[in-house]
This record gives sequence, C-alpha cells and structure tokens, in this order.
Amino acid sequence: MAVPVTEPAAPAAPAGPARRVAAPHFVRLKLRVLGNNFRGQSWRIALFVVGVLVGLWFATGGFFALAAPGLAGEPRYALLTAAFGGGLLVLGWLLLPLVFFGVDETLDPARFALLPLTRRTLVTGLFAAALVSVPVLTTLVAVSGLVVTAGALGGWSAGLVAVAGVAAGLLLCVAAARAVTSAFATMLRSRRVRDLAAVLLAVVAALLGPLQIAVLAAVRQADWDRLTGVARVIGWTPFGAPWTAGIDVAEGRVWAGPVKLLITVLTIGALLLWWSRSLESAMVGAASAGPARDRRGPAGGAVAQLFPRAVGWARRDRFGALVARECRYWWRDARRRANLITIAVVGVFVPVMVNLGGSRLATDGGQAFGEATADSSPVLVSLSMLFVGVLASVTLANQFGFDGSAYAANVVAGVPGRLELRARMTAFSLYVVPILGVVAVVLATLLEHPAWLGVMAGALLAAYGSGLAINAFVSVLGAYALPETSNPFAMNTGAGVAKSFLTLLSMVASAAAAVPMVVAAALLGDLWLWLALPVGVAHGLGAALLGSYLAGDVLDRRQPELLAAVTPRR
Amino acid sequence: MTQEHPALALRGLAKRFDTKVAVAGVDLDVPAGSFYGLLGPNGAGKTTTLSMAVGLLRPDAGQARVLGYDVWADPVRAKGLLGVMPDGVRLFDRLSGAELLAYHGLLRGMDPAVVEQRAAELLDVLALTDAGRTLVVDYSAGMKKKIGLACALLHGPRLLVLDEPFEAVDPVSAALIRDILHRYVTGGGTVVFSSHVMEVVERLCSHVAILADGTIKRVGTLGQVRGDRSLEEVFVEVVGGRTATGEELSWLSR
Repeated sequence: MAVPVTEPAAPAAPAGPARRVAAPHFVRLKLRVLGNNFRGQSWRIALFVVGVLVGLWFATGGFFALAAPGLAGEPRYALLTAAFGGGLLVLGWLLLPLVFFGVDETLDPARFALLPLTRRTLVTGLFAAALVSVPVLTTLVAVSGLVVTAGALGGWSAGLVAVAGVAAGLLLCVAAARAVTSAFATMLRSRRVRDLAAVLLAVVAALLGPLQIAVLAAVRQADWDRLTGVARVIGWTPFGAPWTAGIDVAEGRVWAGPVKLLITVLTIGALLLWWSRSLESAMVGAASAGPARDRRGPAGGAVAQLFPRAVGWARRDRFGALVARECRYWWRDARRRANLITIAVVGVFVPVMVNLGGSRLATDGGQAFGEATADSSPVLVSLSMLFVGVLASVTLANQFGFDGSAYAANVVAGVPGRLELRARMTAFSLYVVPILGVVAVVLATLLEHPAWLGVMAGALLAAYGSGLAINAFVSVLGAYALPETSNPFAMNTGAGVAKSFLTLLSMVASAAAAVPMVVAAALLGDLWLWLALPVGVAHGLGAALLGSYLAGDVLDRRQPELLAAVTPRR
Repeated sequence: MTQEHPALALRGLAKRFDTKVAVAGVDLDVPAGSFYGLLGPNGAGKTTTLSMAVGLLRPDAGQARVLGYDVWADPVRAKGLLGVMPDGVRLFDRLSGAELLAYHGLLRGMDPAVVEQRAAELLDVLALTDAGRTLVVDYSAGMKKKIGLACALLHGPRLLVLDEPFEAVDPVSAALIRDILHRYVTGGGTVVFSSHVMEVVERLCSHVAILADGTIKRVGTLGQVRGDRSLEEVFVEVVGGRTATGEELSWLSR
C-alpha cells in the first residue's frame, strides 16, 4: 500500500499558505489506491466485477422488497417494511463486519499519523473514503426502494424527506460499522480489556436472540396491530428513524420527519465522535502490540519454553514444534484470537437461537412447557451443528495469511506440506474441539435432550473435519496477504470480495461434504442416536487426514508462490 | 565431494515482475570458505537474487546450486546445508527469543538437547539473554537482526546467506556480528551477504560482486575489483550516480 502520496494528503510545506485538506482528497486517494491495486491483476478485476454484480443482484431484490408497499399501494405495510427492513440493515452493518467480513482498511489510519491533520479532518476524510465502497453502493440501491414507497404514497414532499432519510441512514450504517470495529480492535489490542471485549461481543450476539424471537413471534401470530406497534417503536430508535422519516410524512405526521432526521444526525455525530476516540489509539499503537507482559525469568531451556503445557504430550520434533508454535500464535496474535472468540460466541448463540427460538414462542403462546421443545428435532439440531462446525473450520481458509512473510522460515527449512497442514489442523483443533464440545453440551442441556448429545457432537465433528479438509486446499490455493496493521478486522482492498467468495465457497463445499450426517439423522431415527458420534468422528478425522494428504502435495509444489501471495505488498 | 563444488553457484538466474525486469541473468560462483559481499544500490536486485538462490522465490530461468545440490530440484539436501537471514521478512515474532530458536532448531530436525544447549549459548553470546521472555516483536531493530542471525546459525549450516545483516544495527552489535561471522568463516563456513555499506564490505570480504540493474557489473576478489582505488570510487563509477549541482533544492537552505 505504499502509494506515493504526492498530490492529495501531503500537506504543503510550512512555507506559504497551506492548502486545506478536505474529504475529497481522501476519496481521491482511496480511488487511486483501489486503481493501483487492480493494475495488472486481471483476476482481481474479474473478482471485483463479479462481486459488484452479485451485490447488485441482492440490492435489486432489496429494492423491490422495500418499494413493494408503494408500488402495490398498500400503505399499511409501508411502516413495517421500512422499520424492520431498515433496522435489520443497520444491525447487519453493525455486526457483520465484526463476525464475518471485517472492514476495508484501504486507508490505514496509522499512515496518517505523521501528517499535520486535525482529528476532525482525518475522521471526516476517512469517513468520506469509507463511503466509496461496493457494500455502500448496493445498500444505496436497496434502500432507494423506500424513496419510491414514500413518494408513491405521499407525493413529492414525502419523497424528498425519504431521500434525506435514506442518505442519512446510509451514513449511519457506515459510521456504525467503523466505530464498532475500531472500538473492538482497540479493546482486543489492549491486553487488559480484551476479555471484556469478548464478553461484550457475546452480549451483542446475544441481543440477536430476543430480536429473532420477537420477529418470529410476530410473523407467526401475524398480529398486525402489535407488529405496527413494534415498528413504530423501532422507528423512533436510531435503527429505524432514518428509514421511516419519509413514511411518516406520507402518513401525515409531517412533524415526525425532521425529528427523526435529527435523531439520525445526532447518532451519526455520536458514532463519529466515538470512532475518532479509538482512531487515535489505532494511529499511535500501530507499531507494537503493547508493552511486554509480566514475564517470569526463563523457566527451563528453550525447547521447554516453546511448548505450552497443553502440547506437553507432543514429541520434541518438527511436528511438535509446528503445533507448539501454532498454539502460541492462536493466543498471542490478536487477529487469530479475535477469530477464536467469534467461533466461541457465534458457535454457542446461533444454535441456541435456531433451536430455542421456536420453543420460547410456544411458551409465549401459552402452551404447556412440556411441549416447548417440540419444535426442535435431530435434523434441525444436526443442521445447526453443521453450520457451527463449518464456521469454525472456515477460520483456516487463510491460515497462511495470518503468518504473512514469517512463513518464509518454514519455506527455508523445507517443511513438507503434509506435515505442515497436519500440524496446523492439530493446533487449531486443540482450541476448537473443546469449544465445540461445550457447544454440544450447552445445547443438549438447554434442549433437555441429553440423548442427542451424540448426534450433535457427531455432526459437529464431521462438519468440522470436512471443513478442515476443504480449507486446507483453500488456504494453499487462495491465500491472500493481510495488511500489517494492528486492527484484527482490517482487510486489504479488493480482498474483501475475494475473501467473501472464498469463505462462501469453502463453507458450501464443507457443508456439502457433511450433509450425509443430516440425511442419516433424518432417515435412521433412534438408531442414529448411538451411531452418530463414532460415525461423525470417523468422518471428520478421515476427511481431515485425506485433505492434509492431498493438499500437502499441492503445498509442496507451491511453497514459494504461497509465500509471495501472503507477503504484504509494501 | 562437496569440496569440488563452489558453496553457491548461480547460473543465469532471471526474474521479472510484471513488466519490470528485476534480475536479468546472474552468474555467480561463491568459492567454499570465502566471505562474499554482494554490493549494489537500492533496487539493484540483491534481495531478489538471494531469494531465488535460497528457494524463497521461484526464478523465471536459471539454476542455483548449494555445494552441488540444486536448490529447486533437490530442495531438501540444499536447504539442509543453508542458513538464511532474509531482509524485510518478519520472524515468527510473537515468540520469545528462546522459543523462536527452539522452533527453528526443531524445524531443522535437530536433537532437542542440542537445540537447548546451542540456543542458550547463542542467546548468551549475542547478549539477548537479558531480554528474557520478551516477545521478538517488542525487540529493537538491532536485537531482531541478532536473533535472526542466531536462527540462521543454529543448525550449523555450511553456507550462510544474509540479506543486509548490518542494516539498522548499532556499532556494538555490528562488531559482535562481524566477529561471529569471522569465526564462522575461519571455521570453514562460507558467508554470502548483501550490503550497500562500503566500509563493512571492504573490511570483511575476500570476494566482491557489484550488482546493478539486475546484472553483475564487476566480480572477483576484493583486490581485483578494487584495484588501487577505494571500493566506493569503483562502486559509484560502475553504478553511475549523479551529483547535485547546488542549483536545485535551493529552498533547503534558508
């Protein structure tokens, strides 16, 4: 990303009247960096174009969904779609960068640390640059459906308010994504509060639960009055305010429009303020991951120090060294640790939501508690376990990218590919398999079906093992460099689309490889309760070993190319 | 048999990145037991050449042999004889110095007891014992160079390839590194290192090659290349620099 900062951000010399640096400079700089990244890399351009097309496809769907009440002339759905659709959108912008996609850090704040820019200039500039992105474009296309609705129902005035609302809402989404990832990055960097950050992430994910339950309840009961009430409340929160402003005007509550816009603007201001706070620490703390920890004096020799207690069983040879080093890295590298935390949080909450969502509903509806768990079944449980196992393994999709150029050490030492992959899988599994075990036990307890424990663990391990195999290939063939910043959520330009694609591809492939476990759960009935665990373990283990065996060969042939792929361009 | 072979032999190594030719056919013979300096200005292709020589970067054409073993056809044998300290490449820097050495040693298939003993000795000699369990990422630049050198030396290679070993190193550490390299060569090892610091090269090397624009411009023993002039004069002449006339940059003096 070493771009000659000749024209935009470079401030004029102290001599003479300095030209003011403003947001357009940052936008131009970002476009320039984007363009330079594409130069001579036709596959990147192709991926980018495909990404844009897919994004627009979904955006068009969103557009028609949000425009439907207006096009069909059904005013009573207008508020509902705006409040719930828009609210979900904000929530997505808030959470998805944390959990899955990361943020595009084309313009790394740390690069601006030496330039004489006020924090205000920097934040507005980076914010403006953040608006230039594919997700923003697609979101814009989708939410412009709201303008159509407002315009069709309330005429020009409502349409204009909706335009303002939609624009403000888009700004809100981007500001929220930036502020939240930046704040979490700061917290994960600091050794003192990183555990707090994990808890916060868990709470955030937990908030999804009640929301989903409410939505499900609403949909089931189709009680429009109650739903409209909820929508009205959401409409007055920052989640719904920008989207419902135009609808309010259309429905005759003209005074509500400006007030809601004001709510949105105030929220954006607060988010930007929050962002600018954490931005400072991102700029200053980029060099080091913090002060040295309290480190006791050398305990034992060098080899004894390398091996954590959990890897004490390993032989002191190449395999053992690789496993020990990977284990240390999964904990010491903020980027990897963030991934582990995500697995733990999402792994517990998503299945709980999927499987308990229905049951709470049943109690809501006043039915006997005994029937509460009737909604869940071995098949549904297996499916959600499949998701968790696949999600856990997809973390390894760019496992060499985590190492960056440090991987050169293994190339120089000529580590055989199969050994390398097997060691990496083993080290990661030392963290993940216990997490998966906890997931299965927690879920079995909550569902009050201890007998399903085997089915769950079997599906989990089968999916996880298949995922390891698929991701061994993905990590060797589709590796990409991660930027050398301290923000664990940061990604390189253009890598966003590539990353999403590889992630999706490998998740689908891994899930497909483990689907037999679900089919068996559906067909075999009670017999499966006993068979699932041994079959799942064998399936997972076999897949992982086969994957490392085959992908190891590919790795042997591609070591230098892989090293080049994961070395950040400077 | 290895005595008949040069420690490192490069034949027609070439590499281009997109449209830019980084290295355009380098031939080089590094005799066993020599202290070989690869000189060149920034961007001359030093790092690219050395990366191809040790198996980190696949060349477009050409061969690299370490004591007779082809680095690309028989990497296991060749890499076993090599110790490498790349420049601009991270170490596994979230390990402490001792952990990093243990990792490198075991990765080379060494006996754990030998690793323990050599690691302790290296840390002691390089004055890194005081760092204790500080992570390498928190080391200073000079300390990072020293631990990098220790990693390259640990398994007792026959050929040591060092990319810019004296960059960003303070005089005390530089003297220490020089002493260690000297002892290594006296003991029968071969060192190839790149640099653009003339004094260091003049003081240490038995052989010199000057690389510019991706080709070797001068090669031979230090005496042959230098003649009766200083190495710096030869270097500037070969590379062809420009001198400031004093007209431009006038705004600097105010």
